[in-house]
Amino acid sequence: MSNRKKTPLIFKHLFLAVSSILFVFPFIWMILSSFKTSSEVLQGSFWPKEFHWENYSEVLEIIPFHTYIFNSFYTSLLITIYVLISSALFAYMLAFYKFKGKELTFGVVMATYMIPGAVSYVPVYVMLAKMGILNTHFGYIISLAVSVFGIFYLRQAFLKVGYEIVEAAKIDGASDWKILWKIVFPVTRSSFVTLGLVTFIENYNNYIWPALVLKDNDKKLITNGIADYFINSSLGRDWSHIMVASTIATVPLLLVFLVLQKWFLSGVSDSGIKG
Amino acid sequence: MAQLLFEHIYKKYDNDTTIVKDFNLEVQDGEFIVFVGPSGCGKSTTLRMIAGLEEITDGNFYIDGQRMNDVAPKDRDIAMVFQNYALYPHMTVFENMAFGLKLRKYSKKEIEERVKHAAEILGLEEYLERKPKALSGGQRQRVALGRAIVRNAKVFLMDEPLSNLDAKLRVQMRAEISKLHHQLQTTTIYVTHDQIEAMTMASRIVVLKDGIIQQVGTPKEVYDRPANVFVGGFIGSPGMNFFKGTLTESAFIVGDWKLQVPEEKLECFKNNGYMNKEIILGIRPEDFSVSQTSEDLPHQTKVTVHIEVAELMGSETYLYSNHDGQSFVARVDSSTDVQSQSKMDLMLNMEKAHYFDAQTEKRIIL
Repeated sequence: MSNRKKTPLIFKHLFLAVSSILFVFPFIWMILSSFKTSSEVLQGSFWPKEFHWENYSEVLEIIPFHTYIFNSFYTSLLITIYVLISSALFAYMLAFYKFKGKELTFGVVMATYMIPGAVSYVPVYVMLAKMGILNTHFGYIISLAVSVFGIFYLRQAFLKVGYEIVEAAKIDGASDWKILWKIVFPVTRSSFVTLGLVTFIENYNNYIWPALVLKDNDKKLITNGIADYFINSSLGRDWSHIMVASTIATVPLLLVFLVLQKWFLSGVSDSGIKG
Repeated sequence: MAQLLFEHIYKKYDNDTTIVKDFNLEVQDGEFIVFVGPSGCGKSTTLRMIAGLEEITDGNFYIDGQRMNDVAPKDRDIAMVFQNYALYPHMTVFENMAFGLKLRKYSKKEIEERVKHAAEILGLEEYLERKPKALSGGQRQRVALGRAIVRNAKVFLMDEPLSNLDAKLRVQMRAEISKLHHQLQTTTIYVTHDQIEAMTMASRIVVLKDGIIQQVGTPKEVYDRPANVFVGGFIGSPGMNFFKGTLTESAFIVGDWKLQVPEEKLECFKNNGYMNKEIILGIRPEDFSVSQTSEDLPHQTKVTVHIEVAELMGSETYLYSNHDGQSFVARVDSSTDVQSQSKMDLMLNMEKAHYFDAQTEKRIIL
């Protein structure tokens, strides 16, 4: 290769390295801070003078982590499954059905995407209260079981599959459910994984809505748990403890990401259909 | 194998555009029917109505005497080959062919047998474990055919199956599909815009334009007796030449050409009131020939033309010219040396000429 090609490659790598550091820095800083004393965190030195491992045992004694993490993990998982199914069904209809008012339906769905989430808090809260499922995980999960982004995202992925394959499957004798499950899903699997991961992380990190809906201590999620114990508490803020709690809370997400990253990164490379 | 019957089929879309108008046709068991016409003529739409992928707006459609209008595609017992193959990209060739059988709950053994048999017919045995991505265009097309064959369906539908292939492969696959039809004898409806495919493969051709059937007939019928100007121009390569002119007592007059019309035909025109009226004369490129010395060949009329372009095609030469503002092509033996931009005499075989009404553009039955 000529020099003309090499130079920009170095710049590219440099750019990627710098931006990677920018993104990963807060994360590293959080982990390192979890070993510092509270005052050291505020002083802003990068490396801890001394590693205070006891921070971890202290924090694990203070709050019921296993309950919170379990709550967060399983509600996020169920929400993710619901979102994947509901988005897939809705997107299938939008991508492959022909009916009057399809564009309008899609338009209305997309329009709701523009409404800020906070606007729906009050009406959904009232609805959950009337149904008597406020302060239950079921109510919380149901209120998040449909994602407009998910519908939009899967619709775009499904459109790439192509109409003819679906028609071919129909003539081969497949029902809509079979087409979705045996043809469309395998072809768009990476989109499902991506949507699943994004949904899981989003719900695992969700803070305001669960704080409004889930009141009992044993039902709270990890985000609200950390906030209650360390930020809104009367004990004052112990920053090193907050960092410890945040670090522990991140572990399940990292695990999920590590397991699925192959799919997450593979993108939509397997959709080569036309010759 | 099956008989198909179309009764006054219409296809309209919401905004009142009519795609197919009053389509009537009876297809016999084992026929190879080709729908041919320019793009937008409604041929694909009609095929999709047969498949059940498109709703029939009005009229009745029967397979073996059973009304199919409201029957789901999977229950019509049809198989379809799509233009871009529509193979399932995540499945191997074997799985692609087996999918329809699996859904219909055939035993594993039977599926294996049928797929193997189809693969044998199509020469795909070596590729059964490959994914479509790893196949060439021709092989993909064969898999698409295989998917149809294994099902043993009553009717095969093919929607421009060869148009994504290169010219050489197209000719080869054309012959293969014809051979396949010979072997299987399955009633087949084949859609194409390529009149050569229609001529070479069809037992009967259905020529369509603007959603209306122009003519139904065997390739020879359609070629020899086109029902109207459109069919004459569309079928044949190059298509028929047309001259608008006037019929007089002695000849057909176009500009300064006086073309001798055979006696008995002249008599017929007289009886049908076409005398001294404008009509359209159609003549195929091959019915021109290079003028020899003698002028006494029966029903040949000599004309002098100015050749604009002469195209040597190998065994023959296409001569492009125009007369009285009406351009035409003549196809002559390439042994005659013709230069572009030259003058020469051509003979017209008036016995082979076709006549069309100038108003309706329909063939004048003689």
